[in-house]
Amino acid sequence: MRGFDLAKPLSIGVMIAIMLPLVLLPLASIFIFGTSNGLDNFWKALMAPEAIFALKLSIVTSFWATVFNVIFGLFAAYVLSKYNFWGRNAIIVTISLPTAIPTAVAGFALLLLWGPYGLLGRLIEPHGVHIMFTAWAIILANIFVTFPLAFGVIKPVFDTMNQSLEEASATMGATRWQTFWHVTLPGLRGAIVTGALLTFARAIGEFGSTILVSGNLASRTQTAPLYIFAKFNEGQVEAANAIAIVLALFSFVIFSILFFARDWLEVD
Amino acid sequence: MQYNPEEIHVTPMDMGGSAMSVIGLSKSFGDTPVLENINFGVDEDEIVVLLGASGSGKTTILRIIAGLEMPDSGHVVLHGRDVTESPARQRGTGVIFQNYALFPKMTVEANIGYGLRLRRRKRNEIRETVDRLVELVELQDHRTKYPSQLSGGQQQRVAIARAMAYEPEVLLFDEPFGALDAQIRQSLRKEIRALLKKLNVPSVFITHDQEEAFELADRLAVLNAGRLEQMGTPFEVYTRPETEHVATFLGAANLLDGTIRDGKFEHQDVVLELSPDNPKCREGDKVKLVFRPEDVFLRRPENLTQQYHQLATGTVDEVGFAGSYERVTVTLDLGKHKPIVVTRPKTETAAFPLRVGQSVTAGLVRYRVIKAA
Ligand SMILES: Nc1ncnc2c1ncn2[C@@H]1O[C@H](COP(=O)(O)OP(=O)(O)OP(=O)(O)O)[C@@H](O)[C@H]1O
Ligand SMILES: [Mg+2]
Repeated sequence: MRGFDLAKPLSIGVMIAIMLPLVLLPLASIFIFGTSNGLDNFWKALMAPEAIFALKLSIVTSFWATVFNVIFGLFAAYVLSKYNFWGRNAIIVTISLPTAIPTAVAGFALLLLWGPYGLLGRLIEPHGVHIMFTAWAIILANIFVTFPLAFGVIKPVFDTMNQSLEEASATMGATRWQTFWHVTLPGLRGAIVTGALLTFARAIGEFGSTILVSGNLASRTQTAPLYIFAKFNEGQVEAANAIAIVLALFSFVIFSILFFARDWLEVD
Repeated sequence: MQYNPEEIHVTPMDMGGSAMSVIGLSKSFGDTPVLENINFGVDEDEIVVLLGASGSGKTTILRIIAGLEMPDSGHVVLHGRDVTESPARQRGTGVIFQNYALFPKMTVEANIGYGLRLRRRKRNEIRETVDRLVELVELQDHRTKYPSQLSGGQQQRVAIARAMAYEPEVLLFDEPFGALDAQIRQSLRKEIRALLKKLNVPSVFITHDQEEAFELADRLAVLNAGRLEQMGTPFEVYTRPETEHVATFLGAANLLDGTIRDGKFEHQDVVLELSPDNPKCREGDKVKLVFRPEDVFLRRPENLTQQYHQLATGTVDEVGFAGSYERVTVTLDLGKHKPIVVTRPKTETAAFPLRVGQSVTAGLVRYRVIKAA
């Protein structure tokens, strides 16, 4: 064989060999173990009421955290790109901060604010308003840990957006709101969808902060990742495994969308 | 608000017609004055070209007319209505931006119909107008495409159609050919002029390309560092420049310092009569003689005939080929001064070939004086 380049198969092989024990085999084992007792058992584990509840709770709380963070991210990006004011950079840094904070610290911080003896919790608890150890706490934790994600995707697109588009729209007779709706928003479509998917993917897997603020009560405040942890601790590996497969598939689908739809998501 | 001329004290350089006028516009960015007392008007169906170097304030004037920038003082009047305080969206101007600013997520049709949709026109009325405009700018085959799928020239035509759709009170073009290559620029220029003449919309067109200005303009306004130095037809401005900047910015010009003596221009031995269309000068005024390269004739020193106004003798410095004509620089025997530039058509160069170092005498066909600053 003339011109056979040994470096190519060799380097590809080495790359896969490194990925195998670190990434590929762990993922594979979820699927292998989860289905090793037959699909029937997998299905039964998945359909357990507690499991269904945990999945639903995760989806709902992640959904609302995503809705909030996308809208806020859009709004904050608009304000911070349009207006220059004192303290602007400080706000940009603050918005980005939550990614740098360990999730357990985030959960703890929320407890110190909203918990029964927290700064604000102390004021509202006597009125019978409880936030910690409810689904609200999970949403708050999700909002906190995914706060900068949507903003981080939308802001740069906003910054590079051609200002003369908005000016053109104004000279043609559009109000600010019409311009935002017809011109600005369509240009952000890709960034919004990308930001939403990233936020949702991150929120649905959140563990560290949720375990502190939710109370981890089965069928009340137990999210899917908490369910996996609890079942594993109880020795019910199969139950834990079934949900793990679903969560893994979720991430897999979301990242496939982000990867394969990137042309569509791309903003020109 | 109705514009009442008596309330505003200005000395209009040229109010022109009533379709659109700016009166006494001034604007500073921070401490830097960018516009100083700009006055001009545009007639119905007239094309006024703003010509000026980069940074002279052309875009700023356009943005003030469109309502995208507030003047520090002065007024913008559209068809008798003072719109200075109105926001951009209430002025009804059509702006063609330098980069076209087409909406990337809208098709050609949607871009063109946008202004009408904002005005809540009936759907079939919008469709009819879009159909008519698509045909007018010859984009029938591209109506469902997105701007990114169009060539520069096509995008430009979309931008024009889009601005015309809602029958604006004035069309404002900010160097719309900037991004196109020379050949396309030239053909588009012709198309646009024809189109604008068909439409009867007052138009303001910005460029820093002199050739473009000549070809498009009914009238030219020459800007220099935020001041409007002269306004008139291209012919007037070219043949009767009033300032040194106008003279040198529009085409090449040779300048010679001098003084008025006995109502004539005088520089050492050079004495030239002044025709009545020169600016009024008093005895002893410092002036500059202005003459175009094509208005100079070179002859052998002994040969200058009576039909030319004798300037001076000199020596040929350079002879250069410039396509359809020859470009010659000559140092005149007048002590210290810059060499003058002369252009000679093919017929001249054939009859009287020149070489470097040759002695010649220069005569003028046409010249003017302007007051020295
Ligand atoms: N928003 C602004 N802030 C500060 N200075 C500005 C602003 N806009 C314009 N200028 C300044 O005003 C002056 C005139 O600008 P303008 O854009 O009107 O020039 P122009 O004649 O259109 O030039 P060009 O041919 O390069 O487009 C320039 O010196 C420019 O730097
Ligand atoms: Mg400009």
